[in-house]
Amino acid sequence: MHAHELEQLAAWLAGTDIGWLELRGPNECVRLRNDGVRVDAVPDDPPSSLDAASAAMQPVVATAMSVGVFLHRHPLQDAPLVRPGARVRAGQALGLLRIGALLLPVTAPKDATVAGTLVAHGETVGFGTPLVELQPIAEGG
Amino acid sequence: MIEILSASALATVQDLGRTGALQWGVGTSGAMDPLALAGGNILLGNDEGAAAIEVPVFPFQVRFTEDCSFAVTGADCAARLDDMPLLPWWAHEAHAGQVLHLGLPRQGHWRASRAYLCVAGGLDVPAVLGSRSTQLRGAFGGHEGRALRQGDRLPVAGGCAVGGRRGTGHGLVPPALSMPLQVDGVPAVRVLPAAEYTLFTDASLAAFWSEPWKITAQSDRYGYRLSGARLEPKADIEMRSHGIVPGVIQVPSGGQPIVQMRDAQPTGGYPKLGTVIDADLWRLGQAPIGSHVRFIEATWDEAVTAQDHASRWLDEARRLVELQRS
Repeated sequence: MHAHELEQLAAWLAGTDIGWLELRGPNECVRLRNDGVRVDAVPDDPPSSLDAASAAMQPVVATAMSVGVFLHRHPLQDAPLVRPGARVRAGQALGLLRIGALLLPVTAPKDATVAGTLVAHGETVGFGTPLVELQPIAEGG
Repeated sequence: MIEILSASALATVQDLGRTGALQWGVGTSGAMDPLALAGGNILLGNDEGAAAIEVPVFPFQVRFTEDCSFAVTGADCAARLDDMPLLPWWAHEAHAGQVLHLGLPRQGHWRASRAYLCVAGGLDVPAVLGSRSTQLRGAFGGHEGRALRQGDRLPVAGGCAVGGRRGTGHGLVPPALSMPLQVDGVPAVRVLPAAEYTLFTDASLAAFWSEPWKITAQSDRYGYRLSGARLEPKADIEMRSHGIVPGVIQVPSGGQPIVQMRDAQPTGGYPKLGTVIDADLWRLGQAPIGSHVRFIEATWDEAVTAQDHASRWLDEARRLVELQRS
C-alpha cells in the first residue's frame, strides 16, 4: 500500500466514529486506530518479551468474524452456549452471530476456560469486536 | 448409508411431495413441514426438495456407516452425536460409526413436533411418479413404501459426500421465529373460506374464527381431527364425493372439523368450511397433539403474499448459506 493511500484511509477514518480499521492482504496488514482526536497506525504485534510458555497462557479473546448480532444462546434455547468458568475445547461454539437468517458460530481459538462474555445478548457487533474472553489451559493441565 | 437403530415407528422418507398425480387418485404426501425440510437441504447445499427422514416420534437414533454431512431441522429435539450436544437447524459432520440421537422436542420457544434429518446429497431411494416421498396408503415411494424400521439401511446419493471446506458449521434461524403467526398467544394459520362456507350457521362461523381448536390424539399425517365448538350447517348437506387437497377443512355431521394433511386421500364427501393456505400448512404440521390453533380468515391475495414471504425466506437462506459455503 502506498503512503498516500494510507493517508487517504486515515483521513476518511478521522471523519467517522469508527475506532479501529484493519485491512489484511496476502503480504501486508494495516491497522489504524481512531481515538476521536487523531488517527494512528498501529504496528504489528510487538515481539513478546515473555517466553513461549507464559505467552501461551496469556488471555485470548474470540472476536466477531463478521458484522452481525451476537447471541449468547441459540434462538430456540434458553441456556447460553457457555458460562463463565466453563472449560471449552478449540473450535467449540462460545456464542453465535446472526446475519439475517444465517447463524455462524463464534468459536474458541484454543482449549481454554471461559473468563467472561464481553457483549450483551442481542447486541449488533462489527468485524473484529471482542466477544468472549478466554483463559488458556496449561499444557497437560 | 445410514442405519435406523430405533424401533419407534412412523418415521418416513419424505421430500416436498408428489404433485401432479391427483388425477390418478394419488395423494401428494411430502414433508409435513416443508420449510424445515427445505431449510435442512439448503444448509447442506442440496436441492431444496432432496429426500430426508421425517421423525414424529422420539427418541430416534441412526448410525452413520460412513463419514457424512447432515442437518437436523424442525423441532429442537436435543440432538446428540454420540455424547456431543448438537445445535438445532445446523449443518454438522459425522464420522463413520457415530450415532445420532434425537430426544423429546423442547417446547420453550416453538411448540413443534417433527424433526427432519437431512443428509448431504439426499437420501437415494427410488423416485416414484417424480417423488421420493413415502405414500403410506398406496405402499409405494420412500423406503419400500412404508415407515422405517429398526435395521433399515438407507443409501445416500453421492455417498454422503462431505460438502467442501466449509460444508458444515453454520445454521439457520428457524422460520417459526422469523415469521411467527399467533392470535392471543395461540399459534395460528390462515384459512380461505371454501365452497360450503355459507351453508354453516352464523354462530358456527363466528366460533370457527374466534375460538381455539384443540388438536386431538386422532391426528396424523392423513388429517388433524380438531375439537372445539360444534359447527352446524343451516340445513343437512348431502354431497357426492369430490376432489380435495391437503389443507381442506371438512366438517362431518358430528360438527368437529378435520383438516386434511399431506397424506390426505384425494377425494372426500364432507362439506368444506375452509382451506388452510399452503404457506401455513407447515405451522399446522408442526403443532403437537394436545396443543391449540386459531384460524385467521384470509383472502386469495393474502394467501399468495404469504407464499411469497416463504419463498423469500428460502431464497435469502440459500443466498446466505451459499456465501458462507463458497
